Amino acid sequence: MRLKLPLLPTTAVGSFPKPPALIEARRKGIKEKIKRLEREATEKWIRLQERLGLDVLVDGEFYRGDMIAFFAEHLKGFKMGGLVRSYGNRYYRKPVIVGEVGYKGPITVKWWKFAQSLTEKPVKGIITGPYTLMDWSFNEYYPDRKQACLSLAKALRKEVENLYRAGARIIQIDEPALSARPEELPLANRALKIITQGIDAYFIVHICYGAFEYIYPQMLQLPVHNFDLEMSNSDLDLVELFRRHPFTKDLSFGVIDVHSHVIETIEQVKERIEKALGVLNPKQLWIDPDCGLKTRTEEEAIAKLEVMVRATKEIRETLT
Amino acid sequence: MRLLAANTGSYPKIGDSPEKQKHREAYARWEKGELTDEEFENIQREVIKEVIEEQVKAGLDMVTDGQIRWIDPISHFTKNLKNCELDGLLRYFDTNFYFRQPVVRDKPVIIEPVARAEYLFAKRISPVTLKQVITGPYTLARLSINKAGVDFHTMVRWFAEVVAQEVHALSRLGRCFIQIDEPAILKHPEDLSIFEEAIHEVCTEKRRSKIYLYTYFGDASPFLEAFEKLPVNGVGFDFTYSPKLPDLIKKHGFEKEAIGLGMIDGRNTRLENSRELLPVLRKVLSGVEADILYLNPSCGLEFLPREVAFQKLKRTVEIRDFIRKKLL
Repeated sequence: MRLKLPLLPTTAVGSFPKPPALIEARRKGIKEKIKRLEREATEKWIRLQERLGLDVLVDGEFYRGDMIAFFAEHLKGFKMGGLVRSYGNRYYRKPVIVGEVGYKGPITVKWWKFAQSLTEKPVKGIITGPYTLMDWSFNEYYPDRKQACLSLAKALRKEVENLYRAGARIIQIDEPALSARPEELPLANRALKIITQGIDAYFIVHICYGAFEYIYPQMLQLPVHNFDLEMSNSDLDLVELFRRHPFTKDLSFGVIDVHSHVIETIEQVKERIEKALGVLNPKQLWIDPDCGLKTRTEEEAIAKLEVMVRATKEIRETLT
Repeated sequence: MRLLAANTGSYPKIGDSPEKQKHREAYARWEKGELTDEEFENIQREVIKEVIEEQVKAGLDMVTDGQIRWIDPISHFTKNLKNCELDGLLRYFDTNFYFRQPVVRDKPVIIEPVARAEYLFAKRISPVTLKQVITGPYTLARLSINKAGVDFHTMVRWFAEVVAQEVHALSRLGRCFIQIDEPAILKHPEDLSIFEEAIHEVCTEKRRSKIYLYTYFGDASPFLEAFEKLPVNGVGFDFTYSPKLPDLIKKHGFEKEAIGLGMIDGRNTRLENSRELLPVLRKVLSGVEADILYLNPSCGLEFLPREVAFQKLKRTVEIRDFIRKKLL
């Protein structure tokens, strides 16, 4: 799959901050209002991303509660579980697999279509990966993790086929849990093969907050074109890893810390990009934040993306 | 040989019902500066009281304070150390739980022990035996960022001194049950001698206290012999990650004053039943020599929703009773 993109394409990882009115409507459960506000927010952020000069856009995921619950709700075989803490004072509902997992019908396709209808720039199709869905759900049905994961992969393959049929040519699979159990990398590999095999799209896998050193360089065998990795939160020590063993695929390089209120300076971001260019060919490199920006305020998210795009453009000029 | 039911460590701070949101709401208000430290502490104490009551209601013989004050097992013991500061978030082993990683710039110096005050409060309100949990020196060192310019062995020694002081402060209160959590060693068998040295250092301060070493999130089978030789009073295993462990114990035996049987999966909502655990327990019981066996969850229960955590403890007690009848 060949893409027509500038050198160092800029993109976002997936989510943007939900407008307070949408959060309020969701809290109150006013369905009509939620739908309208989700569409408005999607449209607003497509325009914003265009104005900021991003090259590959995302739909902003305004229609998702969180990346696990949303997919669990739209697949067969799940029930919603209770609240579990992820860090600090943050909690999420952890779904439970209680039956045979299956595909009920399109999950994200209509949102992708809507977002893509608003812009000439490519919009990424984004799904939560089977390994992470398995790992971040309780399992009361399958005898082991392997069977749960592969069943999920078969169900999610149908979503990817539908995204491709709708026109998505860049598809991101979010697998933040992937680095947690290095011994299960072959399982994740098998699951991702089920999803990507024979589909002529450019596949990105997004992994964050893990100890990559345990799965690198083996992870390069995963059947994707691009690895989207969090870099600024990990003190960029991955660059050292790539110096020892060359990175052979494309890399979406996280240069913005999504958990900090502090807006990076252009110089900081340029330094990070230059550090990456020390170990990667410019043709391999995409630039993005570490993760989704939903935890930031709208102003912070815009300011962070603005800095990211400006810094990338300045570096791009020195390369062409 | 006595079989008792125990908790392994943490317990969920909140539940799903509106009346069980107290901790979350107070935390949010405290973060915004709407509650003082003292006001937040008072609410945490109320929650500790509730979670001890729940554990007692489930029928446990040994409880913990639920680690309600702990944000995570690493920063809880390092946030107030001199020469340590907290950095970004990192995943806690293979869970979907994250901790703030400490950066060590020089030898960490303890300003005030953390565990002693926690123990004193919980001990006062618990009608049954209380166990205090402390994260072990090896795990603290392994999950820290070393910016002190020393080798890893020195880092572990430094943290061993810190943990020894925690144990010292507790043991001056009399005989305490202290659980030292060392999940990280299971991933690093190459560090066994460094680990052993650190545990020896921690145990020099135990006086009359009972020290239990607990590991989880990994296969403890390769460590069986080494753990048996440590100067701790008991060892707790996570059987959910160690499928070969029952056979190994049956074959080679395992001798310790107390043994923790982490056979109730603390990471999954599916409830175990007595019948499925019977053959495993039969094997283990034929090999171990101990005064006390603790049947407990494989790890802390904060990875489960509160209601399920309670059900797991109730089930632990049911299985304890069943096994007492069948095997003891």
